[in-house]
Amino acid sequence: MKLKTNILKKIRERRISLSFVMTGLVVCIVLVACVIGVIVFTYCYVNSMEENAVTSSEQAVSQVRNMVSHYTEDMQGIMEMVRINMGEAQEERSEFFQNLIDIRKDVEAITVHSEEGKLIAYWSNGQELKEQIHTNLSYKKLEDEGLFISVPHVQNLFKNYYPWVVTFSQRIKTEDGENIQVSMDIRFSNIASYVDKVGIGAHGYCFIADTDGNIVYHPQQQLIYAGLKEEQSEKIRTYRDGSHTFNGVIYTIHTLENCDWRIVGVSYVDELVTVRVSGMIRVVMFVVITVVVTTVLAGVLLAKSFSKPAKELAAAMRRFVREAESFEFYPVKGTEEIVALSDSFGHMVLQIQELMEKVRNEEITLRKTELNALQAQINPHFLYNTLDSIAWMCEVGRTKEAIEMVNALARLFRISISKGHELITVKQELQHAECYLKIQKFRYKSQFNYTFQVEESCLGYLCNKITLQPLIENAIVHGLDLSEEGEILIEVFEEEQDIIMTVYDNGVGMSTEQCEEILQKDVHQKGGIGIKNVNDRIKIYFGEQYGVTISSELDEWTKVEIRMPKISEESYEM
Amino acid sequence: MKCNRKSKMIVFFLSIYFVINVCCACSITEKEWTGEHSKIQVAVIAKSTTSAYWKTTFAGASAAGTEYNLDVSFEGPENEEDYETQNQMIRKAVENGVDAIVFSAVDYNANVEAVNEAVSAGVKIVIIDSDVNSDLVSARISTDNYKAGKMVGEAVLSGTEEVLQVGIVNFDEHSENGQQREKGFLDYVEANERVTIVSSVNVNSTIEEAKAATIKMLKEQPQINIIVTFNEWTSLGVGYAVQELDVADKTRVVAFDSNVVSVGMLETGEVDALVVQNPYAMGYLGVEYAWMLLNDDKIRETNIDTTTTLITRDNMYAPENQKVLFSFE
Repeated sequence: MKLKTNILKKIRERRISLSFVMTGLVVCIVLVACVIGVIVFTYCYVNSMEENAVTSSEQAVSQVRNMVSHYTEDMQGIMEMVRINMGEAQEERSEFFQNLIDIRKDVEAITVHSEEGKLIAYWSNGQELKEQIHTNLSYKKLEDEGLFISVPHVQNLFKNYYPWVVTFSQRIKTEDGENIQVSMDIRFSNIASYVDKVGIGAHGYCFIADTDGNIVYHPQQQLIYAGLKEEQSEKIRTYRDGSHTFNGVIYTIHTLENCDWRIVGVSYVDELVTVRVSGMIRVVMFVVITVVVTTVLAGVLLAKSFSKPAKELAAAMRRFVREAESFEFYPVKGTEEIVALSDSFGHMVLQIQELMEKVRNEEITLRKTELNALQAQINPHFLYNTLDSIAWMCEVGRTKEAIEMVNALARLFRISISKGHELITVKQELQHAECYLKIQKFRYKSQFNYTFQVEESCLGYLCNKITLQPLIENAIVHGLDLSEEGEILIEVFEEEQDIIMTVYDNGVGMSTEQCEEILQKDVHQKGGIGIKNVNDRIKIYFGEQYGVTISSELDEWTKVEIRMPKISEESYEM
Repeated sequence: MKCNRKSKMIVFFLSIYFVINVCCACSITEKEWTGEHSKIQVAVIAKSTTSAYWKTTFAGASAAGTEYNLDVSFEGPENEEDYETQNQMIRKAVENGVDAIVFSAVDYNANVEAVNEAVSAGVKIVIIDSDVNSDLVSARISTDNYKAGKMVGEAVLSGTEEVLQVGIVNFDEHSENGQQREKGFLDYVEANERVTIVSSVNVNSTIEEAKAATIKMLKEQPQINIIVTFNEWTSLGVGYAVQELDVADKTRVVAFDSNVVSVGMLETGEVDALVVQNPYAMGYLGVEYAWMLLNDDKIRETNIDTTTTLITRDNMYAPENQKVLFSFE
């Protein structure tokens, strides 16, 4: 909890690095995925192993059952032959029994007892009968004529010979009407070697018990007899056929069809399932740890390859913020994304630096052009000529005109200077233009007329000072053909968001090339400023879409148009 | 260039890391699934290799060897007094690099040195049947010989005779277990006024010597009506002597251990009771304990008593006694 808040705090403080977040996230995701995977896998694996264990146990037990049932059928067949042969003559019978014992190594002896249990006849594999038999374990009084199979016991009929056997016995009626009992003692060697070999897992085994829970044959019989091992006989007796798990042991039980023996398979859950599963889990855990470690390494590597150059880039940006102009950018190496970022940033740096350069240049140009415009206004030639004209007027006594001329000149300069502001109202600009026209008209002895067509609404807007005057000057000096009556029309009107001012003259006109040339070249006419100066100032002030356009028809007319945005006095801080 | 070299280094280390991982994974799985170990070697060195008693012991040891997947070898001297040969066998086994020795000492004292040498060479010693005078033994598995002797005494006293004239035929007096049995017997019967110890002899553990000694004893002291004896060979010697002198009816013999002959004698009357040990369990437990010691399993008890059973003619064919008397091959 505390750790979490710490991390959150760190993130909030932006002290945490991208690499940490990335690695952490990836590791978390991989861990969660692995854990889920392991749980699901283990669950499925355990299930299938358990099923496997039961299945293999079932298989082993049913194999043994088939084998043992085959064997008991065999023995029953032999018993049947013995029974039939009992009817034969003494000698033939003896020969048959002796042959049988010689051939079948697992048959220890065939004995015939009277109803009272007295040993009448016997055939053995060469053993010497005891003179006195203490307790005849091969005899048990039978109540009916069915086949009886005894529990395992020691055969104690012969001298110094005590094999463990199972006795098959049957009661037979002889021709004389006497009841006799035929018994066959069978050693387990045949089934034993088979049962011994059957293993279920590393330590699992099969054994044979009867329905009372007595062990008929067990691969570790001697261990059980020596008291070193016990089987859950009581428990097994109560189990039905099938598989049962008790105390981590799987008991699989099948009962034989032809006798009351049961085949019991014993296998260990631990060994068949737990050990393998834990081994498997160990391997899986190893894989998971490997994956996680690999992920951490990969995450760190990835983060390093991304966050380190990112940090470099960020540092470069900070440096750029501090000292934009002198900043020199070296591209950062790293992943594709980083390289793209770096390239873009580099490009941006260049552009910004270019823009800054441009702005500075424009500023310089503007100051220069403004100064030029101002200087042009105080053009000494113009002043001399005008003053000459005034002097001449005074001489000839045209006092009234002289006064008017002086007034016009005074206003012209006042507006020109206009406290150093670059922008003045359209009204002032028009007054300026009118003053100029008035003076020029005196000077040119009324060889032209001029007209103003002004929309009242435009008067309040601002415009660059000394814009109309250069155009008018150009019209008078270059445009008008002084041989005929010149006409100059000045129009000011609104067009949507713009103000248009035009100066029209019906002079000599220009070719299209000339029109363009005028805007390109700084043409100084008698010290005056050119149309280019006007165009430059407007463009710097208001943008590329504004400025001066010239249209003309040779020998007919010329029209110079100024386009400016509407700028009200309120919106512009002087 | 610098960056390039760095990334090459990283790739190099990563590939090494993966190779190591794969190797580890392989080795783990191999170990898990093949379970390859070099087999543990256990030598069983007994007092003899010929008696039924020791054969059964070896059968038990062999069963444990199979159970725990061990290499078990069996050895023993020709006669049961030959501690020199036993010592040689121990030294040879140590030389051969066995991991544990399951040992039954012929001589309580004379075997000590060899046993201690083996222990200091790092070999675990588990004693079965017959003890040795050493503190370095890891575990002892045997019949409680004193109690077994007492059991012989009980069998003697259970008779209906008014006077019990007892003759003792014991084996090698240097063997610890025989002496313990005799002591247990004497301590139990001496207090009883019916009992008189008429004669006591120690013989080498062979049928012939025991037989001869018994015949001599019976001839010198014909009043003897009880003979007790404490191992398999002396039991047979006494049995044969009784048979030869034809005194089965008037002499009650309480003998030790079983084989087919002594069981036959029990049936026919030369021997009247047998105290039967559990040699199979001894052999099995001896090897099992050796295995547990070598696997660092916690052993709760280092002194294990195996069972002894008193068998008489009347109960010899009871199902549980069949299991004790007759080994299942």
